[in-house]
Amino acid sequence: MAEENITFSLPDLGEGLVEATVLEWQVEVGERIGRNDPLVEVETTKSAVVIPSPESGVVAGLHAEEEQVVPVGAPLVTFTVERKDGPQAGIVGRVPTEEAAPRRRVRLKPPTD
Amino acid sequence: MTELIERAESAPETETIELSMQQAINRALRTLLAEDPRVLLFGEDVGALGGVFRVSDGLQKEFGDQRVFDTPLAESAIMGMAVGLAMNGWRPVPELQFDGFAYPAIDQIVNQVARMNYRTRGAAPMPITLRLPSFGGIQAPEHHGESLEALFAHTPGLKVVAPSDPGEAYSLLLQSVRSDDPVVYMEPKACYWDRRPVRLSEPTDPIGTSRVVRPGRHATLVAWGAMVHRCLQVAELAAEDGVELEVLDLRWLKPIDAAGLAASVARTKRAVVVHEAPLTAGLGAEVSSLITEQCFRDLAAPVQRVTGFDVPYPAGPLEHQYLPTIDRVLFAVQRTLEY
Amino acid sequence: MTTNPVGDVTMSYVDLLPEAPGEAVPVLLLHGFGSDFQMNWGSTGWVRDLEAVGRRVIGPDLRGHGASDKPTESAFYLPEHFVSDLVDLLDRLGLERVDVVGYSMGSRLAWELALTAPERVRRLVLGGFGPDNALAGVEEGVPGEGDTPFDQVYRTVVGLPGNDADALAACALGQAARPFTPEPRPEGVPILFAAGAKDPVAAGVEGLAEAIGATFVEVPKRDHVNAVSSRAFRRAVIDFLEVDADEA
Repeated sequence: MAEENITFSLPDLGEGLVEATVLEWQVEVGERIGRNDPLVEVETTKSAVVIPSPESGVVAGLHAEEEQVVPVGAPLVTFTVERKDGPQAGIVGRVPTEEAAPRRRVRLKPPTD
Repeated sequence: MTELIERAESAPETETIELSMQQAINRALRTLLAEDPRVLLFGEDVGALGGVFRVSDGLQKEFGDQRVFDTPLAESAIMGMAVGLAMNGWRPVPELQFDGFAYPAIDQIVNQVARMNYRTRGAAPMPITLRLPSFGGIQAPEHHGESLEALFAHTPGLKVVAPSDPGEAYSLLLQSVRSDDPVVYMEPKACYWDRRPVRLSEPTDPIGTSRVVRPGRHATLVAWGAMVHRCLQVAELAAEDGVELEVLDLRWLKPIDAAGLAASVARTKRAVVVHEAPLTAGLGAEVSSLITEQCFRDLAAPVQRVTGFDVPYPAGPLEHQYLPTIDRVLFAVQRTLEY
Repeated sequence: MTTNPVGDVTMSYVDLLPEAPGEAVPVLLLHGFGSDFQMNWGSTGWVRDLEAVGRRVIGPDLRGHGASDKPTESAFYLPEHFVSDLVDLLDRLGLERVDVVGYSMGSRLAWELALTAPERVRRLVLGGFGPDNALAGVEEGVPGEGDTPFDQVYRTVVGLPGNDADALAACALGQAARPFTPEPRPEGVPILFAAGAKDPVAAGVEGLAEAIGATFVEVPKRDHVNAVSSRAFRRAVIDFLEVDADEA
């Protein structure tokens, strides 16, 4: 397993919003988080939302304090994620796994001719 | 036309190296882009991203965004653009991201790409190679596991090819892109990550030839794409029972190597065709017919077909129930042996 | 979709089953004024949290909101119309009893539902809600032009995509016709109040909770808008709902 750091920035929240206030982190540095687990609660002029984690990994760093105003696109959090060695599938599908010993039930009888 | 182009710098490596099929195709594309300034690569996510399977990785950086570029998500437009470029002297290599997304472009492929040369009495050849990630085996969602070879093979004017290993993928792609005729180049997705030692070589066999990948004397297994490997597995198991199966990689699905089929089956007297596509009106019927027409008196048993089922391609977790299994192929072999 | 006899107003809703459906009581979530199910409960982490504890979530867009019909006359927005929409929905889904969580206007309607059909409500959570009439002054003047807490809320929500200013004004007027009264209290239904410490809409909620024998949880540092997504709020509500959730 290889490790890799990935930084996630404040996503475009739509509706022309350009910034958001960090209300409360739902994780701490060093904590393990799963993909889609609650990551951070932010508030815009329109509403408050909980942003789910885009990655599974360990939180390596938080780039904003609570109550800090963060512009869209600014770094929010860095994850340390594990990457499987070996081939990576594309965006769609999985790498087929090779069966070590292919299983069979049918037995053959050689022809007599 | 192609012969006018110098190939000095792009002469492929001759030593044996280990490559996956996605890397081998990437090498072939690089060779083609380097040797012929008329070659253009484009499609959805082909440029900046380098393809969803990394097949065009690094090529936009190397050759610039005028020759390797992203298109809108509009398959019909991608193929229509290829037609226009070909008419103006380019050698387009469009990609349609997945087999199932070729359907929106069928009008362009069938009504324009395949016919233009015929329609213009040779004034507007279509040196287009449509790269189409094809077939199943990677548990992808709907529209990402289809086998369209029968549809394309049934369209006069198109050539159709499906490589089964990295070395083949390399030389068959060179051959396809250098051909002045339109070729549908079907990349078996299940083989993309399959790494093996290959010698990247210039094509040696003519278009429309098959190859025997394992010789045997009791029956011939005919397959293409990932099913070649399924047949090699079956041949290995059959050998434990004392049955020697020949495995023939058809690779060119239009034109089909009728002589190659006949030569193999005349010796083995039995044939099983294996493909992922559904049974009815699949290419297996054509293969079976070609064998029967040529080898009727030699055949010890009717030609068997082992195929996907006549249902829409299933969801990923059910895929292994749909694709020809080892036992289904073995059972078909046994039917030919016992006939 | 469910329909209400009053002018055949159609209400949209989602019915979200947990991955491992069990015996736990489903939760009906009622959003606030000018919001909708997704904005109030979806993007704020509630759906995920409830699914994590195995709860089925029923989430309507209340009439006048979200994907539901938006009549523009106040006669369509009496609290009993909303209650009728909700009882219809529970009947349609074959749900005898649910836990109900409301926020702001959704709390006002949750209260009304529990009063009208106490046998359908196992536990009741009223968020961002207090004894003061949140709609005070609505009947005079144009909504959003004054300076009441309601005017401020109205100004915030009226520009949200999908909202219909006339329907929201009608909705506010309709409900103003039936001001909240703490008596009578829904019989036999345990109630939790929760509100941000800085929520003016919920002023006086602590006293109300004490007066009717309900529990009150204060969400520290939060106001009316940003209390909804607070982890402390979500956790307190789930703890409250999880009591005997499998036995009803």
